[in-house]
Amino acid sequence: MIEVKNVTKAYGKKQHEFIALDDVSLAIDKGRSVAVIGKSGSGKSTLMHIMSGLDHPKSGSVLIDGQNIFELKQKQIDTFRAEKIGFIFQSFFLEGNETVADNVSLPLEIAHVPRSQRKERIQKALESVELSDKAKNKARNLSGGQRQRLVIARAIVNNPSIIFADEPTGNLDSQTGAKIEDLLFGLNKERGVTLVIVTHDDELAAKCDVQIRIKDGTIQSIDYAKELGDTSNKAKEGEPA
Amino acid sequence: MKFVDTVKRAGRNLREAKIRTLLTSLAIGVGAFTITLSLAAGSGGRSFVEELVSANTNPRAVYVQPKQDSSIPGAPGAGGVQEYSDAPSVSYGGGFQLTLMKESDIAAISNIENVERVDPIYNLNAKYVTAEGQKKYQAGLNTYDESITLEYAAGTGDDLANNEIIVSEDYLKPLGFTDASSAIGKSIAVAVDNPLGVEKLFNFTVAAVSKKSDLAVSGSSDLTINGTASKTVYEYSEQGTPLEKAYMGATVITSSEDAVSTVQSTLKDQGYMADTAEDLMSTIFTFVNVLQGILLGFGALAILTSIFGIINTQYISVLERTSQIGLMKALGMRNRDIGRLFRYEAAWIGFLGGAIGAGFAVVLGMVANPYITDALDLGKTRLLEFHVWQAASVIIGLMVVAVLAGIFPSRKASKLDPIEALRTE
Ligand SMILES: Nc1ncnc2c1ncn2[C@@H]1O[C@H](COP(=O)(O)OP(=O)(O)OP(=O)(O)O)[C@@H](O)[C@H]1O
Ligand SMILES: [Mg+2]
Repeated sequence: MIEVKNVTKAYGKKQHEFIALDDVSLAIDKGRSVAVIGKSGSGKSTLMHIMSGLDHPKSGSVLIDGQNIFELKQKQIDTFRAEKIGFIFQSFFLEGNETVADNVSLPLEIAHVPRSQRKERIQKALESVELSDKAKNKARNLSGGQRQRLVIARAIVNNPSIIFADEPTGNLDSQTGAKIEDLLFGLNKERGVTLVIVTHDDELAAKCDVQIRIKDGTIQSIDYAKELGDTSNKAKEGEPA
Repeated sequence: MKFVDTVKRAGRNLREAKIRTLLTSLAIGVGAFTITLSLAAGSGGRSFVEELVSANTNPRAVYVQPKQDSSIPGAPGAGGVQEYSDAPSVSYGGGFQLTLMKESDIAAISNIENVERVDPIYNLNAKYVTAEGQKKYQAGLNTYDESITLEYAAGTGDDLANNEIIVSEDYLKPLGFTDASSAIGKSIAVAVDNPLGVEKLFNFTVAAVSKKSDLAVSGSSDLTINGTASKTVYEYSEQGTPLEKAYMGATVITSSEDAVSTVQSTLKDQGYMADTAEDLMSTIFTFVNVLQGILLGFGALAILTSIFGIINTQYISVLERTSQIGLMKALGMRNRDIGRLFRYEAAWIGFLGGAIGAGFAVVLGMVANPYITDALDLGKTRLLEFHVWQAASVIIGLMVVAVLAGIFPSRKASKLDPIEALRTE
């Protein structure tokens, strides 16, 4: 369960201050898939960074399973991120000079996974994004779509319980995009992984349990699609970006 | 991140910037090269001195001289007019005198506890050497000293009798011998003048033929006779002069090596100048050490310069990899581990530089050693003596230096804000 309570994020100081998130509150149940939708510059990435404890809000709190993550010690936040969270960043942050396998290995090394288990886990993660045959290639030599898939392999290799994905299918053709979507939703259904997907893609958003629309740093609407019930927060003009 | 993983990643990161890494390492390598060579020259020099001294001295011996008047006439602070003393001395003119040792000194020293015997140093002067039917040749004459290692072409110089002599192989041909073994048992004559210019021939039987030795300083002298014979020759040549029964110094042989230092201090208490073989060695060691120190200083200077190179390289590396650092932080890597990653990189650079420098030094030393030995006429001695532990400690020391230099950039890396770092592409 992720609870965001009255989070305000400001960039810059005093007269140059820019409010990127304005008193945002929301709650995401464990095992849900959530889409964060909004125009470019609306604050989607900022929200994702704050929810994962990477960035600090000006005010407000983020509770994960009841624990305010901004009150944790740095060491605990690090361990929490290393063991529980998988990240797919909007810009990939791949190590172009390292092999595909070494890129996927990084989260495992950081989480102190013993060497004996790594190989198999890396293999499995690469298989699920259909990159096994590229394991020994340098990441720099991959195509755009292959890079996107590599980033996803890196995010899931740790068996995280929450995956934050910033535009995970942005660079993929519809067929490969669909495969990645299946993969992510598969993890969500079978292993109960909480999915937080930032996207422009309405089709992808529609596949999620919850759609959160933001505009100019404020929540426009939270739609509980499908059979999830509570739709009280529905707004009128939440339009996709 | 675990140690091995961090080291591996650090190594891989360096490989990405091969040229930069190599250049930085080379700067350290210059220091490592100089230091390794100076260490090798130091050990080589010291062991050469050790060999030299032990081949020419007796560890049980104390070399004694009478205390000299320290004041040189005319020198500032000198006493000026000196009182006349009855003691035998050699005058070099201008009031400069060398005090000599008397028979009574020798006797007194013989009575010191743990002294086995006292050999006066005879200053022998042969006029010429000859054999029957041969010409006369100039030759140096010396007293046999058991502590000087001699090599023989024929015969042996041990237990030299009073009428026996050791001849250097240089004198075989001039004295009419076909080879070393044919000279053994033959008679030769050594002429000595007394102070009045009256020549006397002393006849000796050749007991051994000595070879040239690379290490012996005085041992390869032309002619060598034993102590008693030396005394006879010396007394003839100095009869009636103040030098008769007076000596420049004496070699005191103690009963054991342990007794050397107590005998030495007793002698000093009694007003003699007394040096042991070890003293001689440490005097020469001082020279070797000073030379080595100068070389080491150059090496240290090179390393000091390379420290700035490391800081610069690592700083650039941190800037270049800002987003990578941000990613690793986002994935939960501890700040401490990020810092470590960069310090290990620095350690790799230090290791590389150390290995390159020390490696080059060893290879060069191996190649150059025979030439140096040849040029300096050192015989079997190798002037550059490499030890694995020395090369290893140079490398380890440089790794430590590199890590210390890497602290500043690595701190910058560990303090980066992950969000800021992720924004940089
Ligand atoms: N460090 C910063 N300093 C100043 N403004 C910032 C900073 N980071 C983000 N912003 C601003 O905050 C707003 C929200 O940015 P954010 O990256 O969250 O947008 P986004 O919704 O993810 O957009 P996109 O869909 O284009 O990725 C933007 O207007 C952006 O310019
Ligand atoms: Mg964004």
